[in-house]
Amino acid sequence: MAMITNRRRDVAVAMSLIAPFVVTFALVFLYPTVRMVLLSFTDAPLIGNGHWIGLENFKRLMSDRLFFTSLKNNGYFVLLTVVPTTALALAIALTINRLKGALQALVLALFFLPYILPVSVVTEIWMWMLDFQFGIIQPLFASLYGKSIPVFKNPYWVMPTVAAVTIWWTNGFNVLLFIAGLRNIPQDFYEAASLDGATRWQMFRRVTWPLLWPVTALILTLQLILQLKIFDQVYLMSKGGPFNSSYVLLLMVYREAFQLNHGGYASAIAVVLFVVIMVVSVLQFQLLRSRGQK
Amino acid sequence: MNYVKRLLAAGAMSFAALPAFAAQNVTWWDFLSGGDGVRMKALIQRFNEEHPDIQINGTTLEWGVPFYTKVRTSVTVGQGPDVMTYHLSRMPLGLEENVLDTISDEDMAAAGLSKSDFFPASIAAASDENGALHAVPFDIHSIVLYVNKSYLKGSRFLDDKGNVTGIESLADFEEAMALAKANGSDTPLSYATGDDGGTYRVFYTLMKQQGGELIADGQVLPGDNLGKAAKAIEIMTHWHEEGWQPEQAEYPASVALFTSGKSAFHMNGVWEVPTMIDLAAQNKLGFEWTAIQIPTLLGTTATWADSHAFAIPAGSKMSPEKRKAVMTVIGWMEKNSLAWAGAGHIPAYKPVATSESFKEMEPNATYSSLAETAAYDPRSVIAGVASPVYDASINIISPAMHGYMDPQQAAEQLQAELQAKLH
Repeated sequence: MAMITNRRRDVAVAMSLIAPFVVTFALVFLYPTVRMVLLSFTDAPLIGNGHWIGLENFKRLMSDRLFFTSLKNNGYFVLLTVVPTTALALAIALTINRLKGALQALVLALFFLPYILPVSVVTEIWMWMLDFQFGIIQPLFASLYGKSIPVFKNPYWVMPTVAAVTIWWTNGFNVLLFIAGLRNIPQDFYEAASLDGATRWQMFRRVTWPLLWPVTALILTLQLILQLKIFDQVYLMSKGGPFNSSYVLLLMVYREAFQLNHGGYASAIAVVLFVVIMVVSVLQFQLLRSRGQK
Repeated sequence: MNYVKRLLAAGAMSFAALPAFAAQNVTWWDFLSGGDGVRMKALIQRFNEEHPDIQINGTTLEWGVPFYTKVRTSVTVGQGPDVMTYHLSRMPLGLEENVLDTISDEDMAAAGLSKSDFFPASIAAASDENGALHAVPFDIHSIVLYVNKSYLKGSRFLDDKGNVTGIESLADFEEAMALAKANGSDTPLSYATGDDGGTYRVFYTLMKQQGGELIADGQVLPGDNLGKAAKAIEIMTHWHEEGWQPEQAEYPASVALFTSGKSAFHMNGVWEVPTMIDLAAQNKLGFEWTAIQIPTLLGTTATWADSHAFAIPAGSKMSPEKRKAVMTVIGWMEKNSLAWAGAGHIPAYKPVATSESFKEMEPNATYSSLAETAAYDPRSVIAGVASPVYDASINIISPAMHGYMDPQQAAEQLQAELQAKLH
């Protein structure tokens, strides 16, 4: 009897402890998500109710060229950022890891610094540096290509430039994760390997890389999710142009919802993006994990 | 007890601070910055000084999408202002969003105004299909051609009195630009080539000068209008190739090119007139300038134009007294719009626009004739300030004229893209 009471009390305590999270989660995430999915089946404006139109929005999406352009651009951006930023972060982390003491802290701080800047500041800095008339990077372009390049107005340059700025901005966090991962690898392994006459490359290949794999897989997955959600940098630097070459799905959601007052259609795009991110990231994580376990 | 005491004290203090009568506070939102903003703030201040019983609390928000997004969201939840500025080019979308209250004849009477006091085109633009008024037009503003006369001295483009003359076709205008270039003007024609508004206004003017229509009966660039759009882009591309217009100039750079004396011509809104007047008054301009109506380059006289107007958000539960105060504000602004004309605009209120004082105002009087051939944006939910049409200008027209796409192809993409938004 006493045991049952205790269990009940335990359950009550547990419930009351997780209640704040569950309530907050339900209120600010679950409820809006459900509402968004419901909204995607209506012709609602941005605010207010609409009529139920079933799958009409999704059908229209399938014939919307801009949607496929945006989807393609999202994919291109993922290609330009996810693996490059992970590789770069790994290289930087390996280098920093070999530094000692205060110097290591200083260099780590320098690489981490951009990450704490808000996106508006980051884009402003780069827009100044890359300004067509006055940017300090333009003389470099001029010496390489013979003329200045309006990077945000050139259909071929715009996505790689946005990708480069994004990597500069967010790379510090990945470096931090890698450093944490590297510090978790016991020193003994390296000592044993060097006793066996392993070269530096062999140590990396046989010790560091496999033991770091869980961290690498995590970073790749986090990056994939993050980069699929690209919006701010494009909105601030190129506004989707020129010729839609930097148009991405979230920009489309924003324009449909806030400029054209199509809440229902914008929700449909958001639902598709949500599903894409979920499927792709779960798939990728499973794939990476199974590879790691081999 | 302590709480009650404090409450009483606060109450007594607020009574002491207030005048003996109940003043109406009018919440006002606008998007006016630069020369416009300075003049509007001065007008609001004058109004507040003259009206102890009505106080305007003005807030200036960011022009374009941010302003109109905030208006829509706040009005829907009943937190909008009492009165706001609104672009007439944005009326179709505003009506579709249901954010604009009807302004009745009684309202107009309370303001001491009537519809017949305004230019008919502006009243039409401010009304819905049933003829109900949803905004009170305040001005007509368009682009004009600013001229640096020093590059034209001794040529056939200046008459004995120093007036600009002889630009009657595209060939004339291009001859003048070539001449200015030969006379040392780096970029003879400056306009904001890397900016949505700057590009769009020139493009739309060139479209209308060919008698073209951007959107007609729900069709984007129907029939031969596609060819006219391509022609307009081709002309702008040609100006780029000749080095007559700046490459990727943002708005401030395009103005600076003219004020620093590097450009003989500048196509921009009348709202930059105060900049020129002020610089000239401080002897900082260093050359003789004027502003004229955009010359007829392509057969038809037409200039892109828009209007600022006053609107009252829909669904507000304003008391009749407050409503009257709001209309008093609007009426006073209209009757004092001569001060607003100082920002280059042409008043929409005819008693001011036809007054002697306005006719003496320069350079407004020189270009005020454009009001008769003003080409408003197409009446469509995808046109107007902060619309897909503006986005398409920076997304398609501007890069195309910089040589990234063939004009015909660009016109086709413009058509396809905008048509897709018109579902």
